Amino acid sequence: MTDTKTWARVKSPWVLHFNAGACNGCDIEIVALLTPKYDVERFGIKLEPSPRHADVLLVTGAVTHQCAERLKRVYDQMPQPKFVVAIGACACSGGVFEGNYSVIGGVDKVIPVTAYIPGCPPRPEAIIDGVVKLLNALNPPKQKTNKAEAKPEATPIVGR
Amino acid sequence: MASNNLELISLVESKFGDKIQVQRNLLGAATITAHNGLHYDVMKALLEADEKTGVTSITGLDLGANLGVYYHIHTSKPFITIKAEVPKVNPTIKTLIDIHPGAAFHEKEVADLVGVVFEGHATPGHFVLPETWPEGVFPLRKDVKATEVKPVPTPEREANVLPENQRLVKIIIGPQHPALLEPEKFSVTVEGETVTKVDPRIGYVHRGIEKSAESRTYLQDVYLVERVCGICNPCHAYGFVGAVEKILKADIPERAQYLRVIALELNRIHSHLLTLGHAGLEIGYETIFQYFWRDREPIMDLIELTSGNRVYGSLITIGGVRRDLNSIDIPKIKEGMKNLRNQLPFYNKIYREEPTLRLRMSEVGVMSREDAIKLSVVGPVARGSNYDTDIRKDIPYEAYGEIPFKEIVYSTGDVWARMNVRLDEVEESINIIDYALDHLPSGPIKVDLPRAVIAGEAVCSLEAPRGELFYYVRSNGTDMPERVKIRTPTFANIPSFLKSAIGESIADVPSNFVSLDPCFSCTDR
Repeated sequence: MTDTKTWARVKSPWVLHFNAGACNGCDIEIVALLTPKYDVERFGIKLEPSPRHADVLLVTGAVTHQCAERLKRVYDQMPQPKFVVAIGACACSGGVFEGNYSVIGGVDKVIPVTAYIPGCPPRPEAIIDGVVKLLNALNPPKQKTNKAEAKPEATPIVGR
Repeated sequence: MASNNLELISLVESKFGDKIQVQRNLLGAATITAHNGLHYDVMKALLEADEKTGVTSITGLDLGANLGVYYHIHTSKPFITIKAEVPKVNPTIKTLIDIHPGAAFHEKEVADLVGVVFEGHATPGHFVLPETWPEGVFPLRKDVKATEVKPVPTPEREANVLPENQRLVKIIIGPQHPALLEPEKFSVTVEGETVTKVDPRIGYVHRGIEKSAESRTYLQDVYLVERVCGICNPCHAYGFVGAVEKILKADIPERAQYLRVIALELNRIHSHLLTLGHAGLEIGYETIFQYFWRDREPIMDLIELTSGNRVYGSLITIGGVRRDLNSIDIPKIKEGMKNLRNQLPFYNKIYREEPTLRLRMSEVGVMSREDAIKLSVVGPVARGSNYDTDIRKDIPYEAYGEIPFKEIVYSTGDVWARMNVRLDEVEESINIIDYALDHLPSGPIKVDLPRAVIAGEAVCSLEAPRGELFYYVRSNGTDMPERVKIRTPTFANIPSFLKSAIGESIADVPSNFVSLDPCFSCTDR
């Protein structure tokens, strides 16, 4: 049963995109992933508008104070197991906005992050690479899969 | 042409005599200093004298004992700035919203960030700042160490208060919503399916860029202000750089001016293609979304070719541009332009003849020319309402004065008109790039300018893809600016949506909204 679940999850991860105070650079690159040149649907990745149906949360932006609580709420609404990918320099560490008064600086200060994809903005190829690495990490060896299920706050896989 | 504007200034001068001081050729065509509530009368006189008068931006700044409130006014010809000052102990100034409703958003922002109280315009709560920000602390004042401000606990979550009238229902769009790529909240009140009111709450993407620009050097600021927006970043770089160069009175080499135009127009093409596709997505027509974004990718490759990166190329820098075009690049750009030009008849056919698209876009979100002027609307939204405002034509900057191109104006004022303005502008941008490549002057691409900028102030406005982008920079002789004010096009255009959505079906809200080409990271900064 677990195998089937992992298979389904890896073959067809539904991703939710949340902008937590980004400049649109990363966000447009994420949308560009869905379009003919990059076409991530070939990996079964589908952009899903509702947190309740999403497996992976793609977060961009330096996380403003105004967004932080909303980000947490969106994360809480997602069903287990869930994975968070921080996309862009701002989401990884605050980037150029680090230290500004209305910015928390980094997604991992609010919710646990599974993978980091740095860049300002990361190229679409880099985002695909990061997401595919995350998917590979969910697949066997078997023990790892179980661990990831039991403990969604897994250690970072990419970057850092 | 300039005579028109000089007449206007002379008129104001003769009307108010020595109660005001007029300084010509500063912050636009002239700066009028009008304290003690006279700014209201000057604005009224300007509104009566020139139909196209409106507020571009209001800059609030800390001048020590006083707070400055600078009204940047656009008329049918260049800018005028009205300077007023109020004491910090009692920062009260008369509002302009009764004579010019377009000033409302700007006043709210100044009240929130600088703490000026606009008499006759209640601005309760935060507008741009986060809810956790303490009341009575204003980040753009010099004595506030913004990083030391402790956030207060979040106030009670706003309950979805049902309107008193039982027939009304409140629908909240955002901050996380499938139709919005960015977080922003719009509370739409509907009666049945008809929208009766829209309340915006902006500030979800407010990163405090204006404040942090004050603690970085000018060169660092170029990279910072670019990151206001990931779509129109060369425009932001140019807005800041243009203002700094005006303070320094620098002469930019001609070749650099042409290269800047090429960068700005490539950016316009990619931004317009993005929006034209996104509009398709919002009305449930995903095919054209995929088509437009497919054709946008070669343009991204050209941006990478000219600047070095897909998104943040940082081509425009203080004194010129960072990279030159060589003889191998130019044919590649020309080829890209030719390919896109060949695609345009197909897109024209879709946008003009496709019946499903017309059904969702024609006569939706109609805004009259009078409303567009009254609300100080900018860019393709204004031009779709027959309001001919294009900074490239009105105040030509860089090489735009030498390059022939058409200003696209449509008269129906609906979503369809706004999208067609953009589609036609793509073609004009291709023409501009072709012309610029054919007439590219030789010579240097950059002049060296001092790192410390002499004390002074300047404004720079340019036509970004979404409309007029406005920068005000004030320097104090050091290598860091004293104040940077950014007025972005979406900030000016949101009021038009709040008005045109009323009386329409809730189902038309996404298509009406996307026709503004909204960019919240610009709006909030």
